[in-house]
Amino acid sequence: MEITDKDINHLADLSNTSLSSEEKEALKQDLGNILKYIGKLDELNTDGVEPTYQVFEMENVWRNDEIAAQDANREELLNLTKEEIENQIKVPKVL
Amino acid sequence: MTEEKNQKYQITIGIECHVQLNTKTKLFSEVDNDARGKEPNSCVSPVDYALPGMLPRLNGEAVKTAIRAGAAMRAKINPMSRFDRKHYFYPDSPKGYQITQFYHPIIGEGSIILPSGKKIRIEHAHLEGDAGKLSHFDTYSLVDLNRVDTPLLEIVSMPDISSAEEARDYCKELWRSMIYANVTNGDLYNGNMRFDVNISLKKPEDKKLGTRAEIKNLNSFRSIERAVLYEYERQSKILDSGEKVVQETRGWSDATGKTTSQRSKEEAQDYRYMPEPDLPPLNLAKDFIDAEYSKCPKLPNDYRTEFKDIIPSDTLEILLDYPELVKVLSEINVANKPIGYISNLFASVLLAEENQSLLNDQLPTSAQLTELAEMKEKKELSSTSAKEVFVKLFEPKHASKSPRELAKELNLIQENDTGALEKIVDDVLANPATKKAQEDYKAGQEKVLGFLVGQVMKESKGKANPGAVSEILKNKLK
Repeated sequence: MEITDKDINHLADLSNTSLSSEEKEALKQDLGNILKYIGKLDELNTDGVEPTYQVFEMENVWRNDEIAAQDANREELLNLTKEEIENQIKVPKVL
Repeated sequence: MTEEKNQKYQITIGIECHVQLNTKTKLFSEVDNDARGKEPNSCVSPVDYALPGMLPRLNGEAVKTAIRAGAAMRAKINPMSRFDRKHYFYPDSPKGYQITQFYHPIIGEGSIILPSGKKIRIEHAHLEGDAGKLSHFDTYSLVDLNRVDTPLLEIVSMPDISSAEEARDYCKELWRSMIYANVTNGDLYNGNMRFDVNISLKKPEDKKLGTRAEIKNLNSFRSIERAVLYEYERQSKILDSGEKVVQETRGWSDATGKTTSQRSKEEAQDYRYMPEPDLPPLNLAKDFIDAEYSKCPKLPNDYRTEFKDIIPSDTLEILLDYPELVKVLSEINVANKPIGYISNLFASVLLAEENQSLLNDQLPTSAQLTELAEMKEKKELSSTSAKEVFVKLFEPKHASKSPRELAKELNLIQENDTGALEKIVDDVLANPATKKAQEDYKAGQEKVLGFLVGQVMKESKGKANPGAVSEILKNKLK
């Protein structure tokens, strides 16, 4: 499957990111190669094979509904952000 | 919506409802799920904002709560369910995806019965994590992640709803079902339940449904009804002029009474759903499901059947908003006690604005209410006094008292002791001031009796039972 300019622009839109024409060209190549590599799997006949959700065969794994102390607090969260106002994360206007 | 227009286009409505579940911790992390009154970003785990290497761990209580919610919709519970990632880019979700159940939801087909008796089918319901909260300002937005991964149950109805009134009734009945099942705090104002309403119009002869618009994030029954009415007008104007309705997401404003376009709906495949590799699937045993399912208490519709012909339906519909209250009424009903009188007391209290806050206090018990009704029936309390005792029973300082104790304290017990009443009546009749009235009564002026009863009431300081006094007077003046 060939990756087109339209595909790249669409993916950039979904990720809310802008790309230079060089970046677009590089991504087109990279994504095309990745798809070609994964496309190897198309050679297998998977009729009647259940899709694999996970490989450990575990199920019903859950925890109790109890509050526990966290490794990172609010200060550490806010330290990761570019800008904050009154303990909230400031982002470019989105609506 | 006029009759004429109603015939021109048929309206088809399906509703998605997001219910915030009232578990102690979040769906995938062990932090406080109740952020009411707490500082922004103070109830957040690194799991919620997806620091590299963080792994979600499913909250077992959310699974159980979802089963109880399913029971409240008489729904099938799917033993096998799984989680998926739904990708989208928005600052309310630092993960870049929402964990949801796209392919295998935990709850299958069910239904909600409206007060009218109409059945609205539930297509399915699935567990997912909520997004963070954004506040918008002139040039920027602020992000509070407290709400990230609060457990949500998204309940998807079939397009069985066909008027604004039905849309409102469905949402209200769903809300009631969820608060009866005690799976959510049910505070609509604070977004505990949010409704997305899908609306399309078609001509009656058309087989295919029209293009729909989705009105997002409605959180009051009134705004749901108004938004549907507005959309009907908007879409019928578009269709009248021969144009096409655009499939899109729209927002509702209570202030303007209008919906406005927000964004064209992303195609389903744009969400790039994929299995969530960090959460093993659920494969629930029948016993496990049954144990939770059976915890669902009686629902509004069960009470409608129970109280049919006992409580007038308009009174009952008011009372049904209060599960605890209806439960108390049901306890009294079992004992065949005067339920009609008590339900009226509640209804009249609820209808009076100044009394609404009473329901925040502890409700009187069925034993207290039964005794109160009996005292009223035996005329130990007048109607006014019974209501006074009733209202006082809600007050914490009186809550543990019996109505008799309280009525005595408030000096409200009516004098029914015939001997004692006769003595007062004799005293009144012996008073020269009533002589003329007695003669008038004997001469056939029956309305004078009221004056004499009044004199006895005054003499008894209001504690005599006027009915009994009247009988004694009639006998004595024969």
